[in-house]
Amino acid sequence: MRYLSRKLGFYLVALWAALTLNFLIPRMMPGDPVEIMLAKLGQKGPVTPESREAIEAMLGTDSSRPLWAQYGDYLAGLANGDLGVSLVFFPAPVSSIIAQTLPWTIGLIGLATIISFLTGVGLGTLAGWKRGSWMDNLIPVTTMFQSVPYFWLALILLFLLGSVWPVFPLNGGYDVYNVTPGWNGPFLASVVYYGTLPALTIILSSIGGWMLGMRNMMVSTLSDDYMVTAEAKGLRSRRIMMRYAARNAVLPSISGFAISLGFVVAGSIITEAVFSYPGIGSALLQAVGGNDYALMQGILLIITLSVLGANLLVDLLYSVIDPRIRARG
Amino acid sequence: MSIPSARRILAATAAALLLAGCTGADGEEKSGTADSSITVFNGANGAIVENWNPFSPTQLQPTNGTMYEALFWYNLANDAPPQPMLATGYSWNTDGTELTVTAREGVKWSDGQPFTAKDVAFTFDLIKRTKAINATNLDITSSVAKDDKTAVITFGTKSFTDEAAIIGHTPMIPEHIWSKIPDPEKTINQNPVGTGPFKLKSFSAQSFVIEKNPNYWQPGKPQIQNVRYISLATADAASAALTAGQVDWMSSYLPGLDQLLKNHKDLSYVNTPTMTTSIFTCAGAEYGCKGPQTDPAVRQAIYHAINRDQLNKLAGGGYAATASPTMLLPERDQKWIADPSQQAIPGTGDAAKANQILDAAGWAKGADGIRAKGGERLSMTIQTVSGWSDYISLNDTMAQQLKEVGIELKPTQLSWNEWNNNQVQGRYQLSLDSIGLGANSNPYHIYQPKYASGTTAKVGESARTSGNFARYHNDTVDKAIAVAAGTNDEAAQKEQYKAIQTEIVRDLPYIPIYVNSLLTEFNTSRATGWPSNDNKYALPASWKIWDNGIVLANITPAK
Repeated sequence: MRYLSRKLGFYLVALWAALTLNFLIPRMMPGDPVEIMLAKLGQKGPVTPESREAIEAMLGTDSSRPLWAQYGDYLAGLANGDLGVSLVFFPAPVSSIIAQTLPWTIGLIGLATIISFLTGVGLGTLAGWKRGSWMDNLIPVTTMFQSVPYFWLALILLFLLGSVWPVFPLNGGYDVYNVTPGWNGPFLASVVYYGTLPALTIILSSIGGWMLGMRNMMVSTLSDDYMVTAEAKGLRSRRIMMRYAARNAVLPSISGFAISLGFVVAGSIITEAVFSYPGIGSALLQAVGGNDYALMQGILLIITLSVLGANLLVDLLYSVIDPRIRARG
Repeated sequence: MSIPSARRILAATAAALLLAGCTGADGEEKSGTADSSITVFNGANGAIVENWNPFSPTQLQPTNGTMYEALFWYNLANDAPPQPMLATGYSWNTDGTELTVTAREGVKWSDGQPFTAKDVAFTFDLIKRTKAINATNLDITSSVAKDDKTAVITFGTKSFTDEAAIIGHTPMIPEHIWSKIPDPEKTINQNPVGTGPFKLKSFSAQSFVIEKNPNYWQPGKPQIQNVRYISLATADAASAALTAGQVDWMSSYLPGLDQLLKNHKDLSYVNTPTMTTSIFTCAGAEYGCKGPQTDPAVRQAIYHAINRDQLNKLAGGGYAATASPTMLLPERDQKWIADPSQQAIPGTGDAAKANQILDAAGWAKGADGIRAKGGERLSMTIQTVSGWSDYISLNDTMAQQLKEVGIELKPTQLSWNEWNNNQVQGRYQLSLDSIGLGANSNPYHIYQPKYASGTTAKVGESARTSGNFARYHNDTVDKAIAVAAGTNDEAAQKEQYKAIQTEIVRDLPYIPIYVNSLLTEFNTSRATGWPSNDNKYALPASWKIWDNGIVLANITPAK
């Protein structure tokens, strides 16, 4: 119990620090949201200098308000679950923008992360079990994909599989021309089809790490005494591989997996930019471009919460799995 | 392609035609015209958030033009007088304080109600009552409808210079709907009711569709049934979608466009240069600008030393047009340019003249080939936005060209926010930007914001939006602008503009390079009748408000 309360206390402090940084960092950026809105408006048609007063009146912005007062408003708003109103998408509330974009990101990046983990760990198990076989040659190939810059890999695949051989669509989250969003078959099929190529790039670029880690853990587990015991008992080799070796070797990967799930929300900006995917990363890009503090804070809050949440989960799980950690606390 | 163009040419609209001839819900086979559909890319990227409020700065771009219309429409692609839309005529009293508008008869809102002068009067009355939607700060004192045809708007001050904003850029809204909306600046106007050629059909965060308004007042228009707007994240994605036939209309600068389109016979483009790419200089030493560019001789030397033909070839793709030192467009604004010799800048530079100006001003060449005066080297930084590939090449090429006359140019690349903030605050020496696209083609809309000292501020303080970033101050110019604002007599205005032109051509607070290309690409396989180089019936850019409605109402389905 003492372990638990100490952990929770630590996470509360971390959360407060993260929230404060969320508040401060966007405000250090150069530029003024009203100015940016005006300049962007000027690209659709002429604006006059007087437009500034109209926009300030509309947004109700008062840039003269001291920073600490803005900070107080921000914390009070968060406590009430009010994330404020977006400037880039004025007058839409930040929460509705997040609600609209988050499912796309979680769906795409979350599924891709899970698939990548399962495949990587599976291949790593086999490669460790049959070390020295052809499976080992897969490892340099997958780590090469991991080491090339992600945006480059994504652009090349998009060019080859979208333009040269048009197997996959070039952009978007679904076929906007022919299907209606909702719980219907054609829409869901379209979402899967449009998500395949982006997911493929994420899997290709992350599978190498899982595979390499799992293979090496398998190799060291295989030399443990209980493996010899298992073989001496005459167990089937499949049972030894799965129940004795893989089960022990996968432990470090599980914690890595939980943490990478926490980064699902954050890690999507490049994917979404390359594939014009309608997720939270592209919303964050637009927020940064427009100095939209409220939207940036809202999205950073979601990212912070998911990373902290995943870490907390790992901490708690470990205390269940491994009693030594609890005792030391 | 450069993302830069995506800003300047912000939105490229792409309209992709749904397959004509798909079977309708009732299984009936339809002809190509009945369900003709095109796709537009107007530069939207990321999620699309619904907002059809014609007064909101975050409105979706088709709101004004395709759904809502103004009293008149200015075609910035030529020098034609304003074309009547919802009004058939207007007149000022001699003081410029009272405007009488004659509303067009027989126009219906898209919900079937008739449009009258009462709606016109209501629109301006709402603007008078609501500061947040008064984008041009009109000083309206009253707005009343005398009868169904005539509306009279009175102003507290002489308002000739606001004419374009009043008649050309104020969307007309229906009184029977907007009188019930409590916060006109905050509504997203989910069911837009306008007089325009199109109305909203369906919306989702990735794409929306507008459809033909059957009540439209211009007979026989529009011919296109559906127009779909899509969102694409990058200029690369836009170019790929164009060549794949998924987009029918967009405006993006695509390098090697001729080559790109050679293999696609359905694709064509039109080039309508409208914005003068210029070197903005922080010129006003009295406002706190520092650096060699505060010396007019240095600015003149840069003006003469650069070889614009080479710049157009290396950075502009050969699509740019010749600029005028008066900052007006040589062809469209011919009547406003007082001195015919200032119509166009010679394409090849004149290094000898530049050297002579610098020698006379006391800038002597140092050992490293760079000039100096009183211990100050003739070296300046020039800023642009990272990713604006054509502007970056411009800076690099100019750095080489200017080195030959002993001027050192140090290009820097910044984020858009920082670049813009530097200009607003005056914290720069030289900066690449563009000038143009006023409310109408009257030079007032360029000279007043950019050259009047009333729109500037000390270095470190914010100049007005799109204002006098050069920190330029010239009493002759200030006076002439004030006089020109007080009249709507073109001959009297020309006199004043002549005085302004003499001053600014000498002082050069903004050094013109060329009129940058504005490329718009079309797919003619689903719709024809797009604006062309021979027939610029509207500014064809897919991101332009007002003109978008004109173009979409005039195109016809391909046979």
